[in-house]
Amino acid sequence: MSQSDQFSGRMGLIFASIGAAIGTGNIWRFPRMVGANEGGTFLIPWLIFLFAWSIPLVIAEFALGKRSRTGTIGTFRIFAGKHFAWMGLWTAWISTAIGFYYAVVAGWCLKYFQLGVSNGLVGENVDTQLVWNEFLQSPGSVIFFQFLVIAITLLAIWKGAKAIEKVNVILMISLFVLLFMSLGLSLWMDMADGSLDGFLFMFTVKWSSLSEPSIWINGLSQSAWSCSAGMGMAITYSVYMRKDEDTTLNAFTMGLANNSISIIAGLTVLSAIFAVSDNPLDTVTNGSSAITFLALPEVFAQAPGGGIGAWVMMSGFFLALSFAALTSMISTVELCVRNFVDHGYEREKSVLLTSIAILIFGIPSAMLWITIAPDGTAFPQFLEVQDHIWGYGLMFSGLFIAFTIWKYGYKKWRAHVESGEAAPGLSGYLGVGVSAFRDDFINTGDNDIWIGRWWDLLMYLAFPFLFTILIVSYFGDMITNTPNVWHPTNPHGITIILLFWGVVAGGFILLNKKLIQRPLFRNIPEGADVDISMLPGGDDDLVCEVGEYPAGWEHLAEKTEA
Amino acid sequence: MSFESRQSSLAILLLPFLLSFLSPMVSASVEQSEIAAEEQTDMEPWDQWDQDDEGKYIFCEYNSEGNAECDYLFPWGGDEQMQFKEYHSYETMKARMLRLAADNSEFMQFHEGLNGGTNARGEQTTSNNYEGWYYGHGSPWLKITGNVEGGVTNTFNGDSGNYPDRPDVMIVGNHHAREWMSYETPLLVMETIAYYYGKGPIDNDGDGLIDEDPWGDADGDGQIDDDGDCLSLAAEWQDSNGDGKPCNPGDFGVDEDFSEVELTNLVNNREIYLIPMLNVDGNKYDREVWVGNNCDGGEAWENGCATSGWRKNLRDNTVTGVTPIPDPDEAVDPACDGVDLNRNYQFEWGAPLGATGPLFPGMCYAGEAGPNNDVYNGPVDTTDQDDDGRLNEDHVDGKDDDGDGLLDEDWMGGNSEPETKFIQDLTEMNDDDGDGSSDYKTTLTYHSFSELVLYPWGHCTNCQSPDHEQLIYHGDQMATMTDYTNMQSSDLYPTSGDFCDWHYGVHGSYCYTMEIGTAFHQHQDDVDHIAVRNIGVAFYMAEMADNPRERADLALANVWRNQILEQPSQLVIPASGSIPVEMCLDTAFSIDYADSASHVMYRMVKPSRSQSDYGPGEWFSEDWSSVGFESADDDCELLNSSGTGYKIVAYLPIEDTANGKLHYKAMISTLSGTQKVEYPQNSQYYEIKIDYRAPFGSLFGSVMLFMTVAVFVWGGLGVCLRMMMVDPDEVKYLDDVSDAILDAELSEEDSS
Repeated sequence: MSQSDQFSGRMGLIFASIGAAIGTGNIWRFPRMVGANEGGTFLIPWLIFLFAWSIPLVIAEFALGKRSRTGTIGTFRIFAGKHFAWMGLWTAWISTAIGFYYAVVAGWCLKYFQLGVSNGLVGENVDTQLVWNEFLQSPGSVIFFQFLVIAITLLAIWKGAKAIEKVNVILMISLFVLLFMSLGLSLWMDMADGSLDGFLFMFTVKWSSLSEPSIWINGLSQSAWSCSAGMGMAITYSVYMRKDEDTTLNAFTMGLANNSISIIAGLTVLSAIFAVSDNPLDTVTNGSSAITFLALPEVFAQAPGGGIGAWVMMSGFFLALSFAALTSMISTVELCVRNFVDHGYEREKSVLLTSIAILIFGIPSAMLWITIAPDGTAFPQFLEVQDHIWGYGLMFSGLFIAFTIWKYGYKKWRAHVESGEAAPGLSGYLGVGVSAFRDDFINTGDNDIWIGRWWDLLMYLAFPFLFTILIVSYFGDMITNTPNVWHPTNPHGITIILLFWGVVAGGFILLNKKLIQRPLFRNIPEGADVDISMLPGGDDDLVCEVGEYPAGWEHLAEKTEA
Repeated sequence: MSFESRQSSLAILLLPFLLSFLSPMVSASVEQSEIAAEEQTDMEPWDQWDQDDEGKYIFCEYNSEGNAECDYLFPWGGDEQMQFKEYHSYETMKARMLRLAADNSEFMQFHEGLNGGTNARGEQTTSNNYEGWYYGHGSPWLKITGNVEGGVTNTFNGDSGNYPDRPDVMIVGNHHAREWMSYETPLLVMETIAYYYGKGPIDNDGDGLIDEDPWGDADGDGQIDDDGDCLSLAAEWQDSNGDGKPCNPGDFGVDEDFSEVELTNLVNNREIYLIPMLNVDGNKYDREVWVGNNCDGGEAWENGCATSGWRKNLRDNTVTGVTPIPDPDEAVDPACDGVDLNRNYQFEWGAPLGATGPLFPGMCYAGEAGPNNDVYNGPVDTTDQDDDGRLNEDHVDGKDDDGDGLLDEDWMGGNSEPETKFIQDLTEMNDDDGDGSSDYKTTLTYHSFSELVLYPWGHCTNCQSPDHEQLIYHGDQMATMTDYTNMQSSDLYPTSGDFCDWHYGVHGSYCYTMEIGTAFHQHQDDVDHIAVRNIGVAFYMAEMADNPRERADLALANVWRNQILEQPSQLVIPASGSIPVEMCLDTAFSIDYADSASHVMYRMVKPSRSQSDYGPGEWFSEDWSSVGFESADDDCELLNSSGTGYKIVAYLPIEDTANGKLHYKAMISTLSGTQKVEYPQNSQYYEIKIDYRAPFGSLFGSVMLFMTVAVFVWGGLGVCLRMMMVDPDEVKYLDDVSDAILDAELSEEDSS
């Protein structure tokens, strides 16, 4: 019997990857970014970068994972080469480190769903700031909901791909329904005062602002973050793909679905706020995640239909938010678990270990250093610092994926030059090297959408350019606006980021050698054979399929059977 | 073997988890201080001002008995002298002045003595004329002003950076050699300017508030410690300077967070002449010879030396300095030599009040004169300056004593010393605006000791100067700032020929003598807090140098207090267009409408476009802009029922689409020279929330964009989903659709 695992069908994969992509970023970050970046003006860069950044990267991820049939570490080990397995470890670590505090954030959403259901946010005496501050300052409560999130996640992924699929399908469909319901109520609210301000604002381009770099940079980062492009999610889920799965169509579907949800959520939030608030822009732009938990309950409490409307709006919206967070949490844990399983660890053990780790390492974010901002709103500064440190690590995960593709193209071109099939000059490289990955792994015949030369252009030219812009503007902004930016104990400084990144990357590079001494078990569903010799890492004796054991590692099989 | 390998692999995979232990530890160290600041009252200094943070105001350590001792910590670091824990010597002082002038050449310039030439009285001088009799050093000084290398160069004095429109300020220390705090305080002024010039608003004391506790009582609540951080210390810490008064000037936390913007503005709009050590000869002698001979081998402040020491310069009185009669030993004769520089200025020189006149010119008569020899005012003049055959018939007193139509042209004496000549020529040869009168509208000299603020006159008792009221007013301000006592100089004891009588009497300069500290040779542990207590005075003098008389008049008439800049609650924000900001001014205040002289400074503070996802709201401040006033042709009610004033208005060009906070403040000048009085004071500003005022968009445009987005995103999604449903062979045309989508996208990207 094969020990491999796979999704039951195409829809399973689609829903799982959409679930991974859609998270709190779509529902609370997107409306805020639209508000802060001149409304409709923001939609232009945001849409362009969906096609110029997110989808191409996701295509690459799907193509990589589908062939390697391993998690991030294995994928980099096979595709980028033995010496670069640490890149996969980095990718896994960034996702997991974000997962530490993301579980806490998902817990907030659950808590607000509970408050919404129990009518804890409606009424004359409810001060939403007070509710939020009290909640955040009671560690027991925060950790309880964090635990709840992790427990649900653990149950969802315990049994592997099929269970993940089922949970995602249910949660995503519910999310669509709930969001549409909320949108309806929102638009109703906004219409009540005679004008669709929220709609007008969200879809009006201020042409003079279109030349402002900050809007483009924010459009790019929103697109990169909310789609989870480069995070390794798509690599992980494509391990469970069936043989003839189409990587490109999946990528387009995932990206477009992600943005669809963003628009619906954006319209819901903006319409509601513009309907009620005296200065809606203030409400939308002035803050961070806390806005979701302060402003929206206030706004939703004024939903049409009296108490019932408010109840439906409140619980519906926060349930949708919780679902979005949960599905992202599931993919985060699965990404980590997959890497353990690839290296011969039992699935149940790995799930348990990862969940416990996420619980324990999330606790500091849940309870440490809860600070009151000048406007009186509590915020978790420890969590914020974690986000500050690890958030931009995602950029490098994306860079590593691009690197893998560049490297594959270069190697293939060199091989062809040696065998006389390609010209040694630039023209040879452009002819064979640049398109190598696309020719060999994307346009395989299984794909409904044929990917043209534009993808090469984006991966080789646009990606490094945009990557540089993002990194330079992020750090440049920090240097100009943060006092004491180089001081190592400044939690908002640069040194602390570079220090953590340096230690992590350095440690991973040092440990690379040990990592590649372990066997790597590829999850290849029946009929989906991809011969390892076709892949760059074909000379790695320790790479085998699930159920096989390389020489010297037979004891693992005994252990499994025992 | 394989077992080991498995262990290490596990370790590899767990490494990320282990690493994240680090981040709580790093961040937790920062956490503690924050919580401490939130919750505790009766704090210790190290809770109030985090001693681990760089440049944060104080430094505490535990002595051998385990008790904490705290000292000021100045952000420029450096050795004990730079931290004002030890006295500078002449040499180390000069070295530091040279260093700072070299490092800050855009606003500090080092000089020694003067170049010389033909002075205002037609005398020919060279740099030698300004060098001490004995050791031969000129007094070192700094010219401090913005763009000091620009402006006009004064060949006589040697400085550049002379601007006709910048009022001049002279700050002089150490007339009297033994008054060591009187040069340390100007040195702290120097360090403070050098460090903070051009720096944006800094939170000096690390309490999270910026510029909230400037020199003096900024908010008018009668409390010098405006931010109350000294008062929130445990009682045992409130009197850190040990003068018996808790939280008065000089204590930790009092006036520690002044405005760097104001300091920078002052340096840019004034010429500051900082002469920390006028009497180099005497100071060197006091430190190097006198202390060794008189203090039983102790420090200068030990063994009864704290309140004695060498006072005068080192004129050789044995032969009255008249060459060619040789002085047999060329050594300083402490029983006889020296002139009291602060009795040697010419105005009403020689009146026998608190000064010793020479009985016989050219004689040393220490024996007869006794202690009064310490206030010897220098030799009687022997030159017939106006060549009219009569000697010393028109004394320097502002009157034409001999009725010849010339004023004070044949003086009895005074300004006989290199040091006083230096002050006189520096003053009289520095006439940037060419109006023939002194540019030094304010002058300040530090002395020790008695904790007093002294204003002219000094030479007469029961007399009042023409500016008596105004001098008292400014003196009171500085007395409040230092918790010293303000009085007329002669009420302490009469003196003739002092610095301030000359500056005020001859040149009309508002001149103050600060008697600081409690000893001549103050204990070195007291250097920092006495200097801290007294630097605010220097900046106050610089600020009022534009027109001290008018400033005092307007203040005495409560004009400042009664004039109004509209507060945020009074501001009327129109539905669209510029935002008018009105002021109501007293008719006694004749505003200069020039945009550069009077204006409203404003800036928008907007929510940052990329906010931290989980942190507090982040804001982005624009740079300050300014817009001038115009007359509103209207009357208005002044504050405090003080009558009717006139209304002026400035229109702030704030866009309708602006959203955020507006900061504004007014700076107004009078036609008679008072410059840029701030509303509100102390570089503060008002803040008002500005809502988005423009329409949110047009229906047509938004529907168009909505359609476009919907086609791309939802349409694209629909196409994708349909492709999944249909047989893969039938989807060729969908390729084209998606390609078309991408082409359109890319061309849109190009065109934008």
